[in-house]
Amino acid sequence: MPEEILTVEHLSVDYVLDRGNVRAVDDVSFGLNHGEFLAIVGESGCGKSTLLFAVAQLLASPAETAAGTVTFKGRNLVGLTDKELAAVRWRDMSVVMQSAMNALNPVKSIGAQFKDALQAHGTRSKEEIRTRSAEVLRMVGIDPLHLESYPHQLSGGMRQRSMIAMALLFTPDLIIMDEPTSALDVVAQRSLMLQIKELQQGLGFAVIFVTHDMSLVSHFSDRLMVMYAGQIDELGATRPIFYKPTHPYTKGLLEAFPSIRGPRKPLQGIAGSPPDLGKLPSGCRFHPRCPAAVDRCAEEVPGLFPVDDLLVRCLRVADGSLASE
Amino acid sequence: MSELLEVSSLTKHFKIGNTLSRRTLHAVDDVSFSIGEREIVALAGESGSGKSTIARLLARIYEPTAGTITFDGQDVARMRSRRDQLRYASAVPMVFQDPFASINPVFRVSHGILRSLKLHRTDLSAEDRRAEAARIFEVVGLKPDMLERFPYELSGGQRQRVGFAQALAMKPRLILADEPVSMLDVSIRIGLLNLMAKLRDEEGVSILYITHDIASARYVADRLIVMYAGQIAEAGPIENVLSTPKHPYTQLLLSAVPDPKAPLQEVTDRGEPPKVVDPAPGCRFRWRCPIAIDTCSQVTPVAAELLPGHEVACHVAQTGADVKAFVS
Repeated sequence: MPEEILTVEHLSVDYVLDRGNVRAVDDVSFGLNHGEFLAIVGESGCGKSTLLFAVAQLLASPAETAAGTVTFKGRNLVGLTDKELAAVRWRDMSVVMQSAMNALNPVKSIGAQFKDALQAHGTRSKEEIRTRSAEVLRMVGIDPLHLESYPHQLSGGMRQRSMIAMALLFTPDLIIMDEPTSALDVVAQRSLMLQIKELQQGLGFAVIFVTHDMSLVSHFSDRLMVMYAGQIDELGATRPIFYKPTHPYTKGLLEAFPSIRGPRKPLQGIAGSPPDLGKLPSGCRFHPRCPAAVDRCAEEVPGLFPVDDLLVRCLRVADGSLASE
Repeated sequence: MSELLEVSSLTKHFKIGNTLSRRTLHAVDDVSFSIGEREIVALAGESGSGKSTIARLLARIYEPTAGTITFDGQDVARMRSRRDQLRYASAVPMVFQDPFASINPVFRVSHGILRSLKLHRTDLSAEDRRAEAARIFEVVGLKPDMLERFPYELSGGQRQRVGFAQALAMKPRLILADEPVSMLDVSIRIGLLNLMAKLRDEEGVSILYITHDIASARYVADRLIVMYAGQIAEAGPIENVLSTPKHPYTQLLLSAVPDPKAPLQEVTDRGEPPKVVDPAPGCRFRWRCPIAIDTCSQVTPVAAELLPGHEVACHVAQTGADVKAFVS
């Protein structure tokens, strides 16, 4: 049994607003093993990015960690000072942001940005900086010539890849990725996913990958976490969830989009939109949109029940009245 | 059959570089296609393949370098008077990709709709315009009281519906929709796609649907045009193209669509579309094509009809060979 590199326990994040606190992440617990690929999926506004930021301790006001712990390599990150965190960031854990367009500095060459990160963590020798920068760029399949290039001279796929190269500078144990492929077209998307998977298998780092497109991670992640309204709705091994989705929300997400195969059939998607986290519905948070909801769902708050090898937050799945398909 | 819009040998070149190294970027090269009445045509391809340039040419944001656009039997380039230009602009409006950047944030969402009603439908009184705006909002699936909201109060999906409402206000014949759903969450895209199908079926509008997502194209479109590096690779009725793709690039695109139910394909392609600067003759896909033959590096392939209505620009496919470059 591989040991856990990251353990998140009862993590809650609040946005402190004038109209009262809004809980964006509510009592989330999960563990991540060495070299494991965990995908987090859900709609916009379900708290997946906030959860990532809380794990990386990048939350900025008005968001703050309200409760819980994030134990990374045996050390609780919650409450560490910026200086203590700086030693961990890049070196042991790095973050790849959603839009490489905005995350890279447009007025500095790629090489200069790599140099910044390396120097901040104590690499001083010019020679070392040059060889390491070229090395990571080659790892993601970009010619090291492009160290001289500015972000605008690269295509979207190359920019995203150089962000990943930057995250690899110190060969960290954990890389957190927030929708790294959402700005890319399908061909570039798949080639980037293959690249990430290859690097992960070669270098052995763990990945937390956030996306709203479930089908994207279907072949790449080991475990899948489905989030809704700040909570975990379903958590388990990826492939079984795709073959046999259990939670009605997971089913909805899987059926929300057309396929290029099979018969052409009309789809409805999931009716409505995620709830305002300041005005949560009673009972199960998904019940106003749930096609399988019964009266009970509006009254009783469901816990996270173990069903087979899964964790599922659904009363009807737990009592056996709703079978998985 | 009379077509609503006919594009013939449309070409757009951009001059790049300075006076010492003047070069030409071929964004769109010799593209011909047509769009019928009440038809959704999907234009698919990777980033940089010239899809958006075609939309901008059709919207007259760019002047074509060569080629003609004929709308409803009239040459668009000849529409010089303000009246003709306004009429064309109202018949062929555009819906943009980013619903967060394409609506003016300081005005209520009614502003854009009322303005285009005032400009393009001068027969309506102020009261009629209000009523018409409310009617259009209902058509696109928004509540009429949302007219008084500001853009920041709406979700991405609602904003994109406002984008369609603005286009619809002008009683269009053809809507140019440039990646209208790619910025939206997967779970709400389907609502917008259903809206596009409804506009075609109930309002009789044709749509040019520009996308890189073939699955969504299949869901709404009647015909599919696949572009690569500024040229049409393959075009035809969408079910035919998807069930029997003839061009290696179409096969690559299809194989890249993630499918959770199918096993993962072993694909080695890591290529990117070329920047077409001062191109020499030859097929522009040949560097990524596993089945390229000698002819491909010498002669630019021209689209030929291999099956009824199904055109392919590939030397190998045109020899009658069964092309299987990428498995999907």
